[in-house]
Amino acid sequence: MSVKNQRMMTSVSKWFELHSLQNLFFHYNFLKMETSITLKNITRSFKTHFWEKEKEVLRGISLEVYKGEVFGFLGPNGAGKTTTIKIITGLIRPDSGTVSIFGNPADSLEAKKRIGFLPESPFFYEHLTGFEFLKIHALLSNYKDCKKAVIESLHRLGLKEATNLPLRKYSRGMLQRIGICQALIGNPDLLILDEPLTGLDPIGRKEIKDLILEEKAKGKTIFFSSHILPDAEAVCDRIGIIIDGEIMQVGNLAILLKKDVKTDEISLEDWFFKQVKGSPVEIRDKL
Amino acid sequence: MHRIWAIIENTFKESLRQRILVLLIVFSILLIIVSLFLEPFALGESPKILRDLGLAVASLFAVLVVIIIGSTLIHKDIEKRTIYTVIAKPVKRTEIIVGKFLGLFLLIVILECAMAVIHQCVILIYEGAFDFPLLIATPFSLIEIMILLGILLLFSSFSSPTLSAMMGIIFFIIGHASPDLKLFADQTQVAFLKYLAYGFYYILPNLENFNLRLELVHKLPFHADQLLFSICYGFIYTIFLLYLSIIVFERREFK
Repeated sequence: MSVKNQRMMTSVSKWFELHSLQNLFFHYNFLKMETSITLKNITRSFKTHFWEKEKEVLRGISLEVYKGEVFGFLGPNGAGKTTTIKIITGLIRPDSGTVSIFGNPADSLEAKKRIGFLPESPFFYEHLTGFEFLKIHALLSNYKDCKKAVIESLHRLGLKEATNLPLRKYSRGMLQRIGICQALIGNPDLLILDEPLTGLDPIGRKEIKDLILEEKAKGKTIFFSSHILPDAEAVCDRIGIIIDGEIMQVGNLAILLKKDVKTDEISLEDWFFKQVKGSPVEIRDKL
Repeated sequence: MHRIWAIIENTFKESLRQRILVLLIVFSILLIIVSLFLEPFALGESPKILRDLGLAVASLFAVLVVIIIGSTLIHKDIEKRTIYTVIAKPVKRTEIIVGKFLGLFLLIVILECAMAVIHQCVILIYEGAFDFPLLIATPFSLIEIMILLGILLLFSSFSSPTLSAMMGIIFFIIGHASPDLKLFADQTQVAFLKYLAYGFYYILPNLENFNLRLELVHKLPFHADQLLFSICYGFIYTIFLLYLSIIVFERREFK
């Protein structure tokens, strides 16, 4: 057998190994799993001004997020990540398609009881102290022993010293952490975090990534959006790539990264640009 | 129930911590106290001026608070995106509207009661005795505030604070001009204007129903059935406005 043929055989066997066995294994595992989020053919259009034509922000996206996984929802700015998250959390409604959270409609109380949500660049009630803010969210989450839950949550996120400090005096990182506290406060099964790592220093990012992994270890599902690819790479089981309102790729992170090169693993950042075909400038122009 | 309480508590604290409120409180208390020194200009009508000014200041104070704070109540939450985390919790939108309404109303109830107490103290200093019948004005002024708050909440749930405040002021002015509107409708010969005036008279709230100043200051008799009608009218009108606000807010999206 020639060297060329040998190389080809190796590539084929590698491809077979990766695509058939591993994929089959992962898909088989996920088939057995309960879905936390199911999106089916979601479309959504917006008008910036009433005289303008509607812009299609989501073009029939479908997605399944399984129970107990960390799912990274990746894409450039303006791709439709936040709109998708707002539809999942019931802040906006889709034009068409269905969303279900653990089998319940997204805007139902049953679904919301199981969701903890951190919005992008969160703004909170500045007049409240950290304790008051979390107490209100604990009451909204039907927590009876809310004082204990609030104090535990503040301690967990390292905000013990800021308990009685008004939120207007919190730094950006502290606001992000108290935002995560309020998301965690009802002990939800599903955490939806919109850009949780944006604006944080490396220590803050490490803390949030550790927290995501801790929650995963407890069996929680974490769905988070990000455009910081190395961070997503560090914590995700699966990722979905959304570009211009369409899901381009969904899959197991390890498999996706190996899929294209067939030899060595590449970084998620390199893979991302390979998927969207073009340089950062070209991608931005397309959007 | 504790979900509504959480919204009430938040709205109460949010409203209480606004600086404009402190200014309004200080200004209103000063105005009530100043009425003590009006005797040289009162031409023997000091007791009446003392009562009239005190009631008018307390009522106007409550109206200003409700217009300034009420017009931003929902809009600010949407604009600053603070409502996102609340909407994502297992809370009904009806509970948010009712909680916001009760939170600000609770604050105004406390402030109006405090104003009434200060007014009574001023009368005690001037005359050596309280005038307890004057206190009847407070609950009726509060019913008027309920209606205005309902109007502001309705407009605040879909429009800007400026438009909401303007609508609040327009409803307040037309509401108090209701008897004149009826008189105009009765007397005008132009059919179109007649129907228009009647339309406004019957649709817009008649806030003069809750103005008892004339009777209280001049110690005129009350008609119990008129008072009962005003109470029922105020509550039904407020419930209707809250219902409309809930319908608008249920359909609202947070883009």
